[in-house]
Amino acid sequence: MSTPVTIIMIEDDDGHARLIERNIRRSGVNNEIKSFTTGTEAVNYLFGADGNGLPHKGESLLILLDLNLPDMTGIEILRRVKENRYLKCAPVVVLTTTDDSQEIKRCYELGCSVYITKPVNYDNFANAIRQLGLFFSIIQVPQATP
Amino acid sequence: MRTEGFSKWLATVRGRFRLSRSKHDEIAAPRARSSRPALSQLILLTAGLVVLTLISAISVYLVNKARDDTRWVLHSTAVENEISLAQLQIQRAESSQRSFLLTQRPEFRAAFEEASGRIPQSFERLRTLTRENPYQQQRLQQMVPLTNQRIEQLRQSIDLALTNRLDQAVESARREAGQDATRQIRDLGNEMRIEANRLLAARTASADVSQSRSALITSVGSGLVVLFAGLSIYLVRRSSRERDLAHARLRDINLNLESAIEKRTSDLREANDEIQRFAYIVSHDLRSPLVNIMGFTSELEELRGDIFRRIAELSRANSLPPPGVSDPANAAEPVLDGADEQLSQDFNEALGFIKSSIAKMDRLIGAILSLTREGRREFHPVSIAMRDLIESIVSTVAHQAAEADAQIRVEPLPDIVTDRIAIEQIFSNLIDNALKYLKSDVPGDIAISGRRKLGFAIFEITDNGRGIDPKDHQRIFDLFRRAGPQDRPGQGIGLAHVRALVRKLGGTISVSSELGTGTTFTVTLPSTWVGTNRDEQS
Repeated sequence: MSTPVTIIMIEDDDGHARLIERNIRRSGVNNEIKSFTTGTEAVNYLFGADGNGLPHKGESLLILLDLNLPDMTGIEILRRVKENRYLKCAPVVVLTTTDDSQEIKRCYELGCSVYITKPVNYDNFANAIRQLGLFFSIIQVPQATP
Repeated sequence: MRTEGFSKWLATVRGRFRLSRSKHDEIAAPRARSSRPALSQLILLTAGLVVLTLISAISVYLVNKARDDTRWVLHSTAVENEISLAQLQIQRAESSQRSFLLTQRPEFRAAFEEASGRIPQSFERLRTLTRENPYQQQRLQQMVPLTNQRIEQLRQSIDLALTNRLDQAVESARREAGQDATRQIRDLGNEMRIEANRLLAARTASADVSQSRSALITSVGSGLVVLFAGLSIYLVRRSSRERDLAHARLRDINLNLESAIEKRTSDLREANDEIQRFAYIVSHDLRSPLVNIMGFTSELEELRGDIFRRIAELSRANSLPPPGVSDPANAAEPVLDGADEQLSQDFNEALGFIKSSIAKMDRLIGAILSLTREGRREFHPVSIAMRDLIESIVSTVAHQAAEADAQIRVEPLPDIVTDRIAIEQIFSNLIDNALKYLKSDVPGDIAISGRRKLGFAIFEITDNGRGIDPKDHQRIFDLFRRAGPQDRPGQGIGLAHVRALVRKLGGTISVSSELGTGTTFTVTLPSTWVGTNRDEQS
């Protein structure tokens, strides 16, 4: 891997974001984590000013996505990421409280890599995130299409 | 807040329904009014019947009277005839006597005898005929002796002529011819005939009157009957028109009612959906902060470990360090002195309460979520062999049953068509409950029985467990409510869930129980559930 993977975390709840970050760190993942609390901020960062995703050409991104955002649904972001020629190869991990089967199906149809329901029990939560971190440390993330 | 709004809304709906019921009262009103035509109808019919009876009676009477009159007319004619006959015979007797005196031929004497012989008979008949008429009788009384006397005179003159004393006979005949007797007899006869004629005329007139009266009565009666019939037809038509009108109105109101019900049903369904969505969103959004609370509580716990380890290290640094403290095995459980130990315990206690409360809250939210998810799930009616289904549930709880020293009896059950998953959940919850609340000192006995009744299947789950206080019978079906000693694990969700499912399948559930003797849950489900819930059916 020539370029280090950047983890994009889109999560409206600061507490969740902090917990996720901590647990990822605990699993030994030291990659840069960029955190966004609103969909708009995340979209602006991901697709750039003109919305074509060109700024991230050649970068390796991994997106952690919450579905329940205050200003737009995570599904919308997922759809746009998977339709963008530069970003479509980036793995998207949906990490959300929703365990509605329709929602899960929809996300996989749109091309998400993993769908994880946030466990309320903290031990389980921490465990899940740490394992996700371990997962991050072994998966191969492609560079965005040049 | 939400439920308050809902109950308010329900109240308005009920208010509207009450309003529409008053429309029904309006329908009832014309029915009350229509009893008046029915009464007059009855009166009319009765009047018609009375008139008919009267006409018949009067007709019978008049016909009888006319017959009597006719008989009397005939009678009068007969009397007249008889009088004429008597007079004729007298005349014949006289003329025969004269002829005999003139010719002395015996055939005239025979004719005289014959004529005079008939006279008494004639009188006898007259007497019988005029028995009730004193006037005629009186005349007859006078006439009979006169006639007898006259006949006797005539016979004497004939006898004289026979004994060849013709002159004497002629002489006596001449003398007698001038006497009043003959004239008197004639006058009397005439008087009688006139009387008979008068009677005849009177009786004929009376017969005429009776006949015309009978005709009049008949025609008037027929007219009345026709009039009544006409009136009655008019009334019937009027009332039937009113009934048609009422029918039409009723149909209109029914249609309105149906559309109103449809509208309210859709309102209800919408409200129900809204509540479901609301419950889902609320429980869902409650979960997010809960994750944080739980997460940071766990973080705090770790911090606590770090802090107290530091305290232990610091306090040890102040005092003489005992040998072997840097042993990493000891690091997890730092040794603290009195006050610090107390602080650590307080800290632990607080954290423990927070964590157990969060766990409880999480379970409750989970329960609401699963209930709403159940509410959103589409039901698919399939044919279910109930006995097999219950047996399979029983086999999954066989281990618990053995532990509780309980036997579960499954009696023959009616098969039904309904949603399989819902039925499984209903019965496994009920059987679970029965097992859970058995008495510890008595071997458990749980029976599942069923029967069919009027398109419904009725299932009963009976146990000999600890029972439920009657005051709790309603409460146990409420969400998060439980009854009796709280010594068994559970959230108070099972029965609420069961009731929601049973209702959704168009059925009802009830409980009958007594403390200490056992409990029977009765589940009534439609034999064939067609895929609409109760709201839609109503």
